[in-house]
Amino acid sequence: MTLEFRAISKTYGKIKALDALDLNVEAGSFTVLCGPPKSGKSSLFRILVGLDQPDTGQILLAGRDIVASPPALRPVGYVPQNFALYPHLTVAQNMAYPLTLAKFPKDEIARRVDRTAAILSITHLLAKTPDQLSGGEKQRVAVARGLLKDAEIFVLDDPLVGLDYKLRERLMDELKSLREALKATFLYATSDSLEALSMAQSLAVIDHGRIIQSAPPTTIYHQPATLRAMELIGFPQANLIPGTQYDGALTAGPFTFAATGANRAVTLGIRPEHIQIGRADTGLPARVTLVENLGGEAVVYLDAKGQALTCAMLLMDTAPPEIDAQVGITVAPGTVLAFDATTGAQINDISLKEIAHG
Amino acid sequence: MAEILIDHVSKKFGDFTAVDNIAMTFADGEVACLLGPSGCGKTTLMRMLAGLEQPTTGRILFGGKDVTNLPPRKRNVGMVFQYPVMYPTLSVAENLHLPMKHDASISTAERQRRVDEVLDVLDIRPMAKSYIEDLDIGSRQKVAIGRAVARQSEIVLFDEPTTNMGVSAKLQLIQAFKRVTRRLRQTIVYVTHDQTEAMTLADKIALMKSGKILQYDQPHILYSEPSTAFGGWFMGNPGMNFIPATVAPDGIRSAILAQPLPTPRHLPKGETSIGIRPERILMSATASAGSVSGTLLDQAVGIAGRYLTSVKVGDAVIKVNTAGAPPVGLGGTVHLVVPHSRAMLYVDGLRVAA
Repeated sequence: MTLEFRAISKTYGKIKALDALDLNVEAGSFTVLCGPPKSGKSSLFRILVGLDQPDTGQILLAGRDIVASPPALRPVGYVPQNFALYPHLTVAQNMAYPLTLAKFPKDEIARRVDRTAAILSITHLLAKTPDQLSGGEKQRVAVARGLLKDAEIFVLDDPLVGLDYKLRERLMDELKSLREALKATFLYATSDSLEALSMAQSLAVIDHGRIIQSAPPTTIYHQPATLRAMELIGFPQANLIPGTQYDGALTAGPFTFAATGANRAVTLGIRPEHIQIGRADTGLPARVTLVENLGGEAVVYLDAKGQALTCAMLLMDTAPPEIDAQVGITVAPGTVLAFDATTGAQINDISLKEIAHG
Repeated sequence: MAEILIDHVSKKFGDFTAVDNIAMTFADGEVACLLGPSGCGKTTLMRMLAGLEQPTTGRILFGGKDVTNLPPRKRNVGMVFQYPVMYPTLSVAENLHLPMKHDASISTAERQRRVDEVLDVLDIRPMAKSYIEDLDIGSRQKVAIGRAVARQSEIVLFDEPTTNMGVSAKLQLIQAFKRVTRRLRQTIVYVTHDQTEAMTLADKIALMKSGKILQYDQPHILYSEPSTAFGGWFMGNPGMNFIPATVAPDGIRSAILAQPLPTPRHLPKGETSIGIRPERILMSATASAGSVSGTLLDQAVGIAGRYLTSVKVGDAVIKVNTAGAPPVGLGGTVHLVVPHSRAMLYVDGLRVAA
């Protein structure tokens, strides 16, 4: 069932949570909504579920506007961000609760609880109470409760937030199998761009209540439509360096490139993996300010003529540089993206060429 | 000199063994991180070093001196906790001075010199006159580090000091920590559950689980040659692949190996598996002599634009981390090579050297 948000706006008091938001969600897709905290993710979900009414706009489900439908009649399963489990009920009773309220037959409830518990590997927990569960187990129960409903669309609002990263790794794998097992449409929110890139079949970047780009994740990573999309998607965060293009030369921070196109103010976007670190006598001189060791990769923070840069390197068989080491950096001009400094849109009519470092 | 000797220390709380007969030495002037999941015993071990908890059995020696029965204030260690404990209505400089004021062995001039040094190394001189209550958590924690190191006690203990901090405050604190430790060369024990933090800060990491230290090694060794399957899984994002293997007459066989690995001379009996890091596996669209074929199940952009893929080989799902996009679409066939030099053998979760 296709889902379309059309010009959804929502204001809470003086805060504009959603600003004429448009988004198409393909039937059967796993779509991730990624944006910073308070960018509108939860507001959009609450409106879809029917907990809030939009000020204006439509939600079309298979072409039919559901804005006026009561929540119980919407075919939407929901895992809220701040879920609460009833402490006096068992896991099975917690899961069954929404269906019990809706007066489902007992054997039907039992059947669904068993099936969903099996998918999420929590069958062994069904008789326990929430105080006997770990954080990750509680999270799984909350997800299971949201999936119990016979829904066309499942909405998961940042279900892994606050969990330690090994647990997140495991739950992400489980949620992916779930994505394959239930042939439904998923809408999933997170503010973690690595999680978004890992989970999404389709990625929608949200900021200030608007979708700023909606595309497959690899497209957004390699061809962000705007400066903000580049800033929000990718780990480590991209380097964004304000600069000017004047008479064929583009200068931004320590970098100078030969450039085609009109004179204008630009911002360059450089992914950390596109800055190569070499010997001090090669390329642009820079000083190492900090090295973060992720195991397989290192994030190297640099100072190049006063410009802070983030650079990523593979560690495989090389040791990372030391703090305060002098290094030389090079950037292949073909990997650099340029954005209009005023509108933030990516500039396509620019071609950068290297100029020898002075 | 202040090496820390932990001499067969155990700590029990009722029936629960929090620390299980740990015997090891933290060398003088080294930064050691205690790393492990919650409940592994790292905080209990740290509290025993600080004197906040008494071992059930065993001894703790600082620089050869038995401190097992000494109260915290007689152990001459600096401490930095999760929540900085300071005088909110005093200035940063006053907070740095205070712990040394009651120490008759430190002259006023020496005290001033040390405060100045710490203000500079931590890059907090501009806030020397600010009141603690006006600082954000990151800056407060920097001052707490400054206070703990300014006394120049030979041992400084850190208990998850970056908890509750935002990413950039955390990075600043880590940077400050690196500067201080390189300059002052105190013996440092730092507790964390964060792998990246431990890899970044430590000279050596003690990886803990269930009250025991599984491995004590330099970060890159812990990462590339984990002595336990737990360590291989715990370090790295995602962790190491473990693929079932069997012992055959011609060597160790596994779905991921085109040719068997030579059987080690001493091979214990038990559940055998091959461990391989996702970035050590080579992927190609074409078969070669050492390759096995599999089906591409999933692909995503991961850290620093690298591609993380899942490939089904036999019954196993293997994670592979490559520089470029996989050569085929989802459902397509790829060929994987596991270099024998990078494949590690584990029996019942313990590494068996070739």
